[in-house]
Amino acid sequence: MISSMPLLEARGISKGFFGNPVLKGISISLQPGRVHALLGENGAGKSTLINLLSGALQPDGGEIAVDGKAVSRFNPGAARAAGVAVVQQELSLASELSIAENVGLGAYPRRFGLVDYKALAEQVKTVCDMVGLTEALDTPVGDLSLGRRQMVEIAKALFLKPRVLILDEPTSSLSAHEAGILSALILKLRDQGIALLYISHRLNEVRALCSHVTVLKDGVVTADQPLAGVDAEGLVKLMVGRDPGDLFPTWEAVLPGEERISVTGLSAGMVRDIDFSARAGEIVGIGGLVGQGQEDFLLGLYGALPGSVKTARLCERDGLFSDVGAANAAGLAYVPADRKKEGLVLPHSIATNLLMPSLGKLTKNGFRDRGAEKNTVLQLASRLMIKGDTGRPVQALSGGNQQKVALAKWLPLDPSVLLLNDPTRGVDIETKREIYLMLRGFAAEGKLVILLSSDTPELVHLCDRVLVFRDGRTVAALQRAEITEEAIVGAAMGLTSREAA
Amino acid sequence: MNPVSTAVRGLFRSPPLLTFLLVALVWLVASLTLRGFGAYGHLRYLLELSAVIGIVAAGQTLVIIMGGIDLSVGAIITVTAILLPLISPAADPSGIVGIALALAIATGIGLLNGAGAAYLRVPPIIMTLAMATFLQGLLVMVAGGSAVSVTNASVIWLGQARPLGIPAGVILWIVVAISVLLILHRTPMGSRFLALGANPVAARLSGISITRNTLVLYALSGFFSGVAGILILGMNRQGYVGIGDPYLLTSIAAVVLGGTSILGGRGTYAGTIPGAILLVTTTALITIVNASPGWRSIMFGSLILALLLISGREARR
Repeated sequence: MISSMPLLEARGISKGFFGNPVLKGISISLQPGRVHALLGENGAGKSTLINLLSGALQPDGGEIAVDGKAVSRFNPGAARAAGVAVVQQELSLASELSIAENVGLGAYPRRFGLVDYKALAEQVKTVCDMVGLTEALDTPVGDLSLGRRQMVEIAKALFLKPRVLILDEPTSSLSAHEAGILSALILKLRDQGIALLYISHRLNEVRALCSHVTVLKDGVVTADQPLAGVDAEGLVKLMVGRDPGDLFPTWEAVLPGEERISVTGLSAGMVRDIDFSARAGEIVGIGGLVGQGQEDFLLGLYGALPGSVKTARLCERDGLFSDVGAANAAGLAYVPADRKKEGLVLPHSIATNLLMPSLGKLTKNGFRDRGAEKNTVLQLASRLMIKGDTGRPVQALSGGNQQKVALAKWLPLDPSVLLLNDPTRGVDIETKREIYLMLRGFAAEGKLVILLSSDTPELVHLCDRVLVFRDGRTVAALQRAEITEEAIVGAAMGLTSREAA
Repeated sequence: MNPVSTAVRGLFRSPPLLTFLLVALVWLVASLTLRGFGAYGHLRYLLELSAVIGIVAAGQTLVIIMGGIDLSVGAIITVTAILLPLISPAADPSGIVGIALALAIATGIGLLNGAGAAYLRVPPIIMTLAMATFLQGLLVMVAGGSAVSVTNASVIWLGQARPLGIPAGVILWIVVAISVLLILHRTPMGSRFLALGANPVAARLSGISITRNTLVLYALSGFFSGVAGILILGMNRQGYVGIGDPYLLTSIAAVVLGGTSILGGRGTYAGTIPGAILLVTTTALITIVNASPGWRSIMFGSLILALLLISGREARR
């Protein structure tokens, strides 16, 4: 293979947020006429890398080079000048504007100082034809389906006549037909000498389109090699595999007790037709790629998202909960993933946050019982090892301690079912260890813990069994002996568990 | 650290106290410089006027703390003041039945506001504004342009009596103030209002019902507006269309002057109390200045803005 001058390179770049390193000195080199795959699990640092390559973020260390020359300040303007275009995973279109206006945004042709719509339509038509957009160009983008909008997004990137095109999960909302058009287009662009970076969780697509792969794992590159000769299982192996160390407690499975949750045909949000049951004393893991319906599943059980079931029995009660209060009364508790937005009232004190769910219980003659409240707060603070004044605003605490507050506020209600949505995300190692110990402790006490996690090792080392979600359905139900990172990631990627194992 | 500077800083962190001190300062300076201002009768009159705003602002404080706003308080006051003389049964000489009926109507209107906000998800600013417009139309049809005189004995007593030299309206305000402070700071419900105002998503996921609390809150605001309407009627002896209009802006201004965040989640009625007195005092001072009504209005608007900039400013990050 002829190695030519790379169009865009990252050379040993690192980037951290709030002292938390996300990329640790990684390099990637995008060659003209090549489709380069970027793979990695949730949180491996892919989005950060894309933002650095498109100038949206500046690296803390290392450099970005264009045509072999380092660029000192690679900002969005420099990226545009270098011919870098990105098709984002989250759509960035203005839904009130037409297809033509969106595609040409920022580069409208002018005539007498006004937008020349006729010229715009002509210019836009070329790229729209390329991606197979046959709709009238003055159709508002808001009227299009998600898949068509994705095609507009791609046309918008092509309109800039890019030399480097970055596609972040472009097919996740496309129909098979549209995906086919896109694949053909990608190969055509490649043959025109454009450098493409392709991020996808669909391994078959990656193998069909790409000739080179970079694998990210916890912010470092674990593989940078030609794709030829690597099969799907090989790719999965490249993405997992790390030493869990002594982060996780050792534990013995508890003999499962009575059935706490049993639903058939549960649909809520993007979750479709799920059968599920779980018993006291279990930790049931929920895995999969981000946003495959795992959260909606928890919210549906919690009564926070309207849903439907064929049959449901939750904590000795028939049917789904109509609101969160009813779920709490029956013994369910939920810890959200985004503790700052959903878990805590940040400007309020630690004590106020800890008391929020149990306010109604700690009363005397209808008024708040200050003595009982104080005792409760003291007990929780000592159990959580939160030192200092509990009158401080909760936002003064570290992320790990905030998470402990978001979890511990439920303990006064003594819930029998804990629904946990990624409880260790953005939490330091020490607090992770404490939370893991707590979770196994809950199971030993006979509580049912449902642990949704984007951290695969957590699922492997803490759970009695694991369900893997994909497209709103469960695609694998792994028992204790079958739970491996390979099995979870393989199922999440759409391989059958047999292939991955 | 210097204890004096710490105390001063603590003072500036407590908007209610700051507003109280501002009122004291204005009263002191005005009493020393303006003849007649410091007379007991004049100060008592200012407190009587403040009581009305303070009672309207009681509901408004709770609503704003939960992140909403009630733009129908003026209209509810007018409804109460016009309907009460019409619905007080002649068979009840005490007039208590008429008061109970009027308060039930006012509370019911508030409940409708709450239902619109909670069930139909209409933004409170739109819901209450639409309600106000609707009620005004209804009143024009019921009362026409004429004023309605009150004969209800209890209402007149409330507006005119001075047990122990203290106006009944001020005593009523004290009762309202104690109730609201207890609700806000000593009951689970008050704590829930604050949580909902600061972060409705987190509050809901912690089992706090947005629907139930919204209903209760707007019903309370309607109730307090009704109470204020009855007091105004007693003081005026007449109800007419537009009688409640001045209390919309002043109720909101009193809340914000008292340091309650207009964005919700933070505040106390303890600040609204001096906020109401400060507003009335300011109005009185403007009246003393010999200016045309147009200029008085302009001065009042500018002063509210200036006072808000000084004391009710959102804390900067």
